[in-house]
This record gives sequence, C-alpha cells and structure tokens, in this order.
Amino acid sequence: MAVIAEPVAKPISRFRFVLDRRDVLETVMVAPAILYVLLLVGLPLLLAVFYSLSAYTIYNPTWKFVGLANFEQILQNPTFLDTLRNTFVFTFGSQLLGLVLGKFGAFLLLQPFPGRKIVRALIILPFAVPVALATIAWQWMFDSLYSVINWTMIAAGLVTREEAPNWLGNPYLAMLCIIIINAWRFFPFAIVIFLAGITAVPQDVIDAATVDGAGFWRRNYQIILPMILPMVAIGLIFGIVFTFTDLSIVFLLTMGGPGGATSVLGFEGFQTGIVSGDVAHGAAISLFMLPVLLVVVIFTLRFIRRREI
Amino acid sequence: MNRNNRMRIGRRRFLKQAGLTLIAAGSAPMLSTPFVSRAMADTKTLSIVQWSHFVPEYDKWFDQFAKDWGTKNNVEVAVDHIPVANVAARAAAEASAQSGHDLFGWNGAGGAHLYRRFLVDVTSLVEATEKKYGKVSTIGRQIGYNQDDKTWSAFPDFYISFPAMYRKSMWDEIGMKPDTWDNVRLGGAKLKAKGHPVGISLGHSNDPNTTWRGLLWSFGGALQDAEGKNVVLNSKETVEAVKYVTALYKEAMTSEVLSWDDSSNNRYLVSGIGSLIVNPISAYRTFQKANTKGADDTFVIAPPKGPVRQIMGGASEFYGIWKFAKNKEGAIEFLKYYADHWPEAFKASEGYNNPCFANLVPKPMPILSNDPTSTPSDKLTVLQDSEQWSASPGYPGPSWPAVDEVYNDFVICDMMAKAASRQMSAEDSVKWAHQQSDAIFKKWHEKA
Repeated sequence: MAVIAEPVAKPISRFRFVLDRRDVLETVMVAPAILYVLLLVGLPLLLAVFYSLSAYTIYNPTWKFVGLANFEQILQNPTFLDTLRNTFVFTFGSQLLGLVLGKFGAFLLLQPFPGRKIVRALIILPFAVPVALATIAWQWMFDSLYSVINWTMIAAGLVTREEAPNWLGNPYLAMLCIIIINAWRFFPFAIVIFLAGITAVPQDVIDAATVDGAGFWRRNYQIILPMILPMVAIGLIFGIVFTFTDLSIVFLLTMGGPGGATSVLGFEGFQTGIVSGDVAHGAAISLFMLPVLLVVVIFTLRFIRRREI
Repeated sequence: MNRNNRMRIGRRRFLKQAGLTLIAAGSAPMLSTPFVSRAMADTKTLSIVQWSHFVPEYDKWFDQFAKDWGTKNNVEVAVDHIPVANVAARAAAEASAQSGHDLFGWNGAGGAHLYRRFLVDVTSLVEATEKKYGKVSTIGRQIGYNQDDKTWSAFPDFYISFPAMYRKSMWDEIGMKPDTWDNVRLGGAKLKAKGHPVGISLGHSNDPNTTWRGLLWSFGGALQDAEGKNVVLNSKETVEAVKYVTALYKEAMTSEVLSWDDSSNNRYLVSGIGSLIVNPISAYRTFQKANTKGADDTFVIAPPKGPVRQIMGGASEFYGIWKFAKNKEGAIEFLKYYADHWPEAFKASEGYNNPCFANLVPKPMPILSNDPTSTPSDKLTVLQDSEQWSASPGYPGPSWPAVDEVYNDFVICDMMAKAASRQMSAEDSVKWAHQQSDAIFKKWHEKA
C-alpha cells in the first residue's frame, strides 16, 4: 500500500493574513497616491493660502495675519482685472482653437493614406517638444524684423514691409499669437482624445445611422460627437487647468507686453511673488485661479455624469 | 582542462566571482574612508552662481580665474552661469530653501536690498576696498548700500552703461548729430523717411525699463523723491517726457519697437536698418563680429541731453553672500582677490563691465581709451566717464523693493507705450502710471 505523504501546511504569516483583507489591501495600494497628492498638491496649496493671508515678503518674512487685505488690494487694481480677462481669453481661445484643430486632425488621420502611421507619430511632436524650445521657434516666426510669416507674405506680394503685421507689437495680434502657440501645443492631445473616442464608437451604430440616411455632418455632430463628449470633456478639463495656470509662453514670448495686453494670472503671480519678492500678493494673485478652476471642473464633471451612457 | 573549459563561465564560477567583486567594491570605501575624508576635510568648496554674460569671453575668463584661485587656495570652485531672466527665481528658490550657492551674483534691479535679511553684511569688505581703490560710484552705492543702517548687504561688482550708438554716415548725410533728445527726434524723422528709423524698445524688458527712465530723468521727471518716501511721477516734467516719446515714436520710429526684447535693437542695428539705438556696448561688439564695415560706421556717444540734464539708466551687478552659505570666509576671500584683479575682468569683458570703485581701473582705461578693434581706436573713450551719466532705477532716491516692483511690472515702459500707441493721452498715461506706482509704494511702506 502506497503511503502518500500529506502536505505539511506552512504557517501563514501574520503579514499575509493582514494583506488578505480587502479593505487593508485597498488602503495600502491607494496610500502612495493619496500621500503624493497631499504632499505635492495639498501642502503647497495650504501654504499658498497661508501666504495670501499674511504680510510675507522676502524683504520681511513675517507671518503677520492680514486677513483678506491682499485680495482687496489686488481687486482695487484696474490692471488686475485686465489680467483676469486676458487669462480667460487666452485659456478659452486656445482650447477652442485646439479642439477645432484636434477634431479636423483626427478626421484626417482616420482616413487611409500612405504614410499615415508616420504622420500619426509626428503629429504628437508639438506635445513632446519642450515649451521653451517651441516658444523660441515661434518667437522667430513672429519676430518684427525676421518673421518668416511676414517674409513669405512680402515675397508673395500680399503686403509691403510697412504693412506687414506687427505680431507681438499689436495688443490683439500678440494675444492671438500666444493663443496660436498654446493651441499648437494642445492640439495633438486633442487629436489623440478624438481618435480614441471616434474609434471607440461601435461601427454598427454608424452603419445604422448611414442606412437611416444620416449624412457626414449628421453622423458626426448628432451621433459621434454626443457619444464621445464625456471623453472630450475630460481632455478639456486638462487643457483648461494647464492653460489657466501656465506662464511659460507669456514669460518666454511677450513678458506680458505690449502694454500688459498678454499678462495672465500665472505670469503676474510669478512677477509679483518671486521676481519682486512680495510672496503674499503673489500667492493671492495665484489663488484667484482656484475658484475659477473649481467651478469649471465641477461643472464639467457634472456634465459628464449626466451624459454617461 | 582545455581552453574552452577555462573560458566557460558556469553558475558556480559566476556566483563566486561576482561575490568577490561585490565584497571588494563594498569594502573599498571602508578601507579608503580615513584617507579620503582627511583629503576632503583639507579641500573646501566654493560655489558661485551668476548670469550668463552678454560677452561670452568674459564667462570663460571668469571660470578660469575662479578655478585658478581655487587651486592656489586649495578650494574646489564651481561656477554656474544661468540665463539673466532666471536670476530672480533662482535667488528666491535658494533663499526659501536656505540652501544653494555661497556667492550669488545679481544682475540689475533687486537683490541686495530685497534679500538683505538673508545676506552677510559686507560693510567691512566694501570699506577696505574703498580704501584701496577709491570711493564707490553713485550707481554702485544705490544698489548695495542700505541708507537706514549704513551697511552694505552686497559687494558692488560693476555697472552696465547705456550709451547711444548711431550710424555716422546716415546722420552725417542729414548734417546732424544725435547728441540731444530733440536732435534724435528731428534727425530720426528725416532718417525714418530714408528707411532708417531710430530703434528704442517700447516692449517689456530691461532695455526699455532703463532707457525710458533715463529719458524721464533728463526731462526732470522721476518715479520717487530723493528719500524714496513718495511717488512723484505725476508731474509737468513727466508729462513733457511722455509727450516727447509719443512724438519720437510717431515721427522717428516704427511700431516694431512695441514688441522688442533686449536683443531686438542689437539686431536692428546689425541689420543696417536702424540709425540709432541706446544700449550697452554689447550691441557694438556683436556688430563688430557680424560686419566690420557697419561697426566702423557705428559711433558710440554719451546718451542724448534732455532739457534738464544728461543722464541715462544703468544696470548694477553685485555679489551677495548668503547667511546660509557653507563657505562664507572663502566667499569673502575670493571677492578680495577678485577686486585686486578687477582690471583683468574689465579687459575680459571688452570694456562692457564698468568699475564701481573710482580708481579700480585708472584712466586712461585700457580698451576704452584705445581699442585696437575699433576704427577710430578712441571710439569708446566716452565710456570712461559713464559713471557721471549713469544712475540706477531708483534715481534720485534709493533702490528698494517698491522701486523694483515698479520696474518688474514695466510701469514706466507701459506709461510711454500707452501714450505712444495712442491708447491713452500723455496726461492719462502719467496718471495711470502714478496710480500704479503709488499703490505699490503704499503696499511696501506697510510691509517694509
């Protein structure tokens, strides 16, 4: 008679037993992310709130509480309201242009053509190029003396040198320039979002709509777009948050000029808080972004929840 | 055992050899620590950060100079050069972190007074240098000296002067010299008609901040009073200055100047279009490298005279030693040595760095009195006396945080630009700038 050895049960370690509990494991897995957010987002935010309510400057680093005096002083400055308006125009202008370009780009890249894969890889370049390099390249394109855009227009006989647009010297054109650059940076991201959304729409839905007589525009704007809207909205939240808080393009291209026409909140906060050393005012200027972004995010997330299929 | 077997690396052999290697690598630091740490204790370090100079040869000279000093004194010296636009942010980061370089080189407005609580008092060092090399010039004093407690929070290194540079052949053709602001406007209008406008930036950068302040002072206007207590911008003189700039823009310049950064006017001159710019001599040096013939035709003169005085803004450079620096003594010793060899720095900068101490570079100054690269060779002679017509942004008062913020917010530039581009009348533009500056001053008076 064969004797089969019974397996000896190994003692289960206490650690393994604890990790077998679902709630504990969940907490352990989520903890790094929560810690990350608390340390790198929560703490600086709290610090910014403290700064904005204090009289803290680099000259006199005091935590003396001044209540809402910093906010009051900022609101009394008419230039600040211009800055706030510029920030809205810059953010929503560039997002709108980026979305339109993204939608067209996605449609183009859905069509089969030779080298499509290479084009799809290249289209992501503006998103991957460091902002400093990209902005310097754009600066040369908008340069008052050596603008390649103006040079082309002059060579084509469209304008004379005197009539050529003064891209960064005209307040409206300067705003348009920073919008174009930001839209150029954002549109590859929009293309990716649109491509992912459009390819996720079931083919039978599109076929059914085609059989029912829906043409190109109706299919796109009454079938596909409503279905991918939640995904686009998430992309838009990213775009708005990053643009609203951005100062790099303005800092590198216009320094807020001409005459303050392109000064945005991020730039103003940096100039006041870091360059001029008035940390409390700089923090207060930066915190003006918070309620705006909060409203945008809440509104968009509620919209997405309602639209979820 | 054949050769192949000897070469084969089995699992056992691999583990054995890898283990030995790890033991050797691990024990090496333990065995060498007493020797290395003694050597490290003997070698101190000194870290320096400063802007990337507009004359690249100067940076090369400075790096070698600092390295040589380190070798002589058994100090390991590291010099970091950062873009000029990053200086303020780097200073704020180092002060906040209470850690960074030992010696911090500031450029232009801000720094010494803003960070004075973070900086070592260098009064004795400045006084000792004054004894050796003469009094500190007004522009050097305006930045590093604290009037309230009579101390120095930074060591004045050099100042950058802003002379006028004009194309002699163009101005000769119309029979004029741009030696007064009136001549600049009248002659500039004639030359603009010939396709050679005047090029002074009305954008947001250091050059217009400096140049338009100079023009304002030469018309008798100023941002603040001599004590730095009150904003005095809203005056008849300022309105006249703004009216002048409006006329100059309309008659002698093009709208391009509204978008310019600090390098645009240099390019304008080098392109052969511009007939006059106001800029440090880096523009002339760039021109020399790009086109000798054009550079030979470019003459350097003192800034144009205004109705009240002949004066121009300047940018001061100074070194601060952080209180949290690891090698404060080393930093002080380095500055002493640097001051003793300052004429070398002057030559390396090709005459761009102007001395802050009266006798640091005795006249006739090398290069400026006789520059072999210029035709004629005495073209830069006027720069020897630039301390007589150069002033820092706070003139006639001290530089302090409020003056810096007005500078960093480009209030004076925008005052000129808003009127020149007809967004506002001269009077309204001055009122707007006064209001902006007054709010900044009130804020800092409360906080300082």
